[in-house]
Amino acid sequence: MSLFPKFLKLSRPLTSRRVHSATDPEGSSSRRPWAFIGRPLRWIYWLPLGLGFTQYFYTLKTVRGRSMQPTLNPDTSSWDDIVIFDRYSINSGEPIRKGDIVALRDPINSRKMLVKRVIAVAGDIVKTLPPYPDAEVFIPEGHVWVEGDEPFRTLDSNKFGPVPLALLDSKLMYIVWPLDRIGPLRPPISPVSKRGASRDFRWYSDMAAFEREQRRQSRVTTRSTTSHS
Amino acid sequence: MAGPSMLPTLDNSGELVLESILPHRLFPNQLGRGELITLTSPVDPSRIICKRVIGLPGDVVCVDPTGLKAHSTEHVLVPKGHIWVAGDNAAWSKDSRDYGPVSMALVRGRIAARIYPLNRFTVFSKNATYIEH
Repeated sequence: MSLFPKFLKLSRPLTSRRVHSATDPEGSSSRRPWAFIGRPLRWIYWLPLGLGFTQYFYTLKTVRGRSMQPTLNPDTSSWDDIVIFDRYSINSGEPIRKGDIVALRDPINSRKMLVKRVIAVAGDIVKTLPPYPDAEVFIPEGHVWVEGDEPFRTLDSNKFGPVPLALLDSKLMYIVWPLDRIGPLRPPISPVSKRGASRDFRWYSDMAAFEREQRRQSRVTTRSTTSHS
Repeated sequence: MAGPSMLPTLDNSGELVLESILPHRLFPNQLGRGELITLTSPVDPSRIICKRVIGLPGDVVCVDPTGLKAHSTEHVLVPKGHIWVAGDNAAWSKDSRDYGPVSMALVRGRIAARIYPLNRFTVFSKNATYIEH
């Protein structure tokens, strides 16, 4: 209501004032003080939205290290893999399934982030690999067992035991670089070979990934498969 | 605050405390024995719990002096990067006696003070008494 007389005043010298502001940029900035920030810094307005998106939805990160070979960073590729990390599914409370690759904070050194595969969830019994002290471990409620795909050079649950779900940060869902392995990261399934088609290297590598997954899962017994409840 | 696991320090319900998160974010290795801390529960990631730090990495901790959940002579070595937490109300507290040492990455911050009710205003600090042989 108080702005109405101001608009009435402006309506008469409208054309002259318009021409004046087009040639004199300082005049317009004195009426709108937030324009002082200047053109090169305008992107700051997008910063909270961008930060919120990468913290709670999806983000792109590079994966370093060899503990997830050959799924991520195989020796055949000269670059580190760049992957889309999905924070939304973890934050929304979607249950973590076996075979997901997750990024978690290292329980021993909380500043480091590890990328490993979930082998077993709460309620399962896992036959462990050295250097874990016990031969079999029962995963307690709210914990998961993670292992790297490369069993020789990996820091995983065989070192620090079951990991509480609160330490999981994001799921790896899609490789964007390098382009020859671009695609979603899903739990390995048995590849189907088309009739008459010769099996190419991709079929063999998919089959090898499936066999590795089977060997990993053979060390896990879920509660439903045991005889007693 | 809710829950009886920190009686008599913190009441079952109806209290407001001040939680200081930023100093722990900036300096995560400054936990002291006897400090009241808040952490994400290792058994339920959607819950935030408040316990007291009993053992730091490398300490040998008596699992349960009361003998309720483990024999009172049982001791455990707290591994690197983990802490041993316990609630003040030993009879009604799920803490490290149940789920073992918790990773320091789960710690959110410390309880700085109780601000409500006003007549019970207290500032919490590290109060650990060291007994020399």
